[in-house]
Amino acid sequence: MSRQAKRKQKPEPIQWRLVVVVTFVCLLFTSLVGRAAYIQIIEPEKLRHESDMRTLRTTSRAVQRGLITDRNGEMLAVSVPVRAVYADPKTVHDRQGFEDMRRWRALADVLHLPMEDLVTRVKSSNKRFIYLKRQVTPAVAEYIKQLKLPGIRLKPESRRYYPSGEIASQLIGITNIDDKGIEGIEHTYNGWLTGKASKQKVRKSRDGKVVERLDVVEEGESPNDLVLSIDHRIQQLAYRELKKATEIHQATSGSVVVLDVNTGEVLAMVNTPSYNPNSPDKLQAYKMRNRALTDAFEPGSVMKPFVMAAALEAKTIKPDQLIKTSPGWMRIGGRQVRDSSNYGDLSLERILVKSSNIGISKIALSMPVEQLLGTYASLGLGSFSGIDLVGESTGKVRDGHRWSDFERATLSFGYGLTVSTLQIARMYATLGSEGVLYPTSVVKLKQAPEGVQVISPEVARQVMNMLEGVTQKQGTAAKAYIAGYPVAGKTGTSRKAVAGGYGEDYIASFAGVAPTHNPRLAIVVTVNEPKGDHYYGGDVAAPVFAKVMSGALQMLNVEPISQREQVRLAGVARRSK
Amino acid sequence: MTTKPQLNLTRIVLQDIWHHIWVVILAVVLVVNAAAVVFASHKSRQLTSQWDQLLQQRDKLDIEWRNLLLEEQSLSEHSRITQIATKDLGMSRPLPNEEVVVRVP
Repeated sequence: MSRQAKRKQKPEPIQWRLVVVVTFVCLLFTSLVGRAAYIQIIEPEKLRHESDMRTLRTTSRAVQRGLITDRNGEMLAVSVPVRAVYADPKTVHDRQGFEDMRRWRALADVLHLPMEDLVTRVKSSNKRFIYLKRQVTPAVAEYIKQLKLPGIRLKPESRRYYPSGEIASQLIGITNIDDKGIEGIEHTYNGWLTGKASKQKVRKSRDGKVVERLDVVEEGESPNDLVLSIDHRIQQLAYRELKKATEIHQATSGSVVVLDVNTGEVLAMVNTPSYNPNSPDKLQAYKMRNRALTDAFEPGSVMKPFVMAAALEAKTIKPDQLIKTSPGWMRIGGRQVRDSSNYGDLSLERILVKSSNIGISKIALSMPVEQLLGTYASLGLGSFSGIDLVGESTGKVRDGHRWSDFERATLSFGYGLTVSTLQIARMYATLGSEGVLYPTSVVKLKQAPEGVQVISPEVARQVMNMLEGVTQKQGTAAKAYIAGYPVAGKTGTSRKAVAGGYGEDYIASFAGVAPTHNPRLAIVVTVNEPKGDHYYGGDVAAPVFAKVMSGALQMLNVEPISQREQVRLAGVARRSK
Repeated sequence: MTTKPQLNLTRIVLQDIWHHIWVVILAVVLVVNAAAVVFASHKSRQLTSQWDQLLQQRDKLDIEWRNLLLEEQSLSEHSRITQIATKDLGMSRPLPNEEVVVRVP
């Protein structure tokens, strides 16, 4: 009871106040919790979206086009990032961009553009994007950034440099301003060289640092580098010598192809006239053509060794046979075939050394035409060489099955069919590799590809030995003689066909393999339309051949042999015949 | 007034805690865990940002490398070397028959 008494003494709390306060506090908390739950659980999307708007960014990492190098790692094409300057005219107008004309003057100066043009172009446009200048260097880009002109922006792109310049320009080709290969190797291997920028979603903090990497929007693709089979030293040497010869003989054009006999790799492929791929605003189509493989022509006498090979293969002649060529001219089906003088009875070797049309015609007539055409075809005439570059010509024999005797004769000294310089090189490389035909390649190979035995090794060796005489003193190409490296080669001088017959222009050529005892390189030089007094292959093309061959063999560290050794080897070769 | 035995409040509290020791441990673990999550995500952000900076640095170095490549290429151009060797240094290339072959046994 005492408790009750005590309570009565104490002041009574006012109940309703308590209720109000408690209710109020409860309501307050409930509403806070409710709100939090609403934000967190029921409707979180809206705020999440707001947050993402402020922090999520898509970044892309630019990739450069792959490098092209020669077989020793020397750079032939390098991409360097540059910037494109563009204007957003609307922003320029909206933000009173033309207030400070001093800045525009500076912009025009650094871009080498007339200021009036620049300003009117931006002023008169109502587009959102116009290029002001493409491919400016990073230093200029930085300067433009510092100018802080409203609406003038920079965009990353890349520029291709070709350190070797005109030396390999037709072979490597060029890219267009959008970094796409449009010529040569750049075109063929465009997919391999081109990468794709990866796009990724990232979260950025307030100060612009990436703090979280989210999903990849677009899977990138890293570009690949390309290692060519080209040896830049040889390429350079070949270009220099060919250019010199083209100028001296006032020729229209010229080509040199250097093939590795044992793998079919192209070590050098040069053409004149050439162009500088680093200044692509003055391109001329006739300079851009890779003539060594696009231009097919009637080859002339350089085909003779293969007639010999075909006949030896078919056994219609014997290696020690003598062939009568007197009196220096011969009638076949009412047309005349002539030699430059009366050579009398010639051995097979002498026929090639003297380049006797009569001798080779008689050999060609000793076998059915199918045999000869079959040999030509198996050596790659009329088919692609495997190099896989745009515009490659396959060469051609005229269609039809009926061949007159005269046509068969002309076929033997290289008329009535067309081949490219590359194809001749491939044919000679086949002689050097003991009759194995390899597909040619401009890409460096890890191992020799599988070849096809198209001529028997003995016949190939026999023909090689016969050709060694060509560069000796009495041969047609004494100028192709190289001290230290015995050469097996053949000259060619063919008239160019014009409408209704043959004109006064020539193609001088020399094709050869060296060193004969252990062949390494096959080189073909063709000079188109030499204008001077000299137009024979032995005078125009042979000196180029000699310089390129001896230089290239030295660069490849091929051991030269002494004069005595050379004589001894020649003796062995003669006896083995 | 009956005197009740004096209750030790601290003891009761401790006893109570002991009684629910697992709950308490879990609560502590929870808090520590939450802190660790915060710490780890902070660390991860820092590392990500560092990674990104390194990537950017790599790109910059790659660009520099490409420019240096071009420079090297133009300085080491064969024709330039040949010219310096022949003109300035008076060197010449031996002909094939002047070459001396040294065989390493």
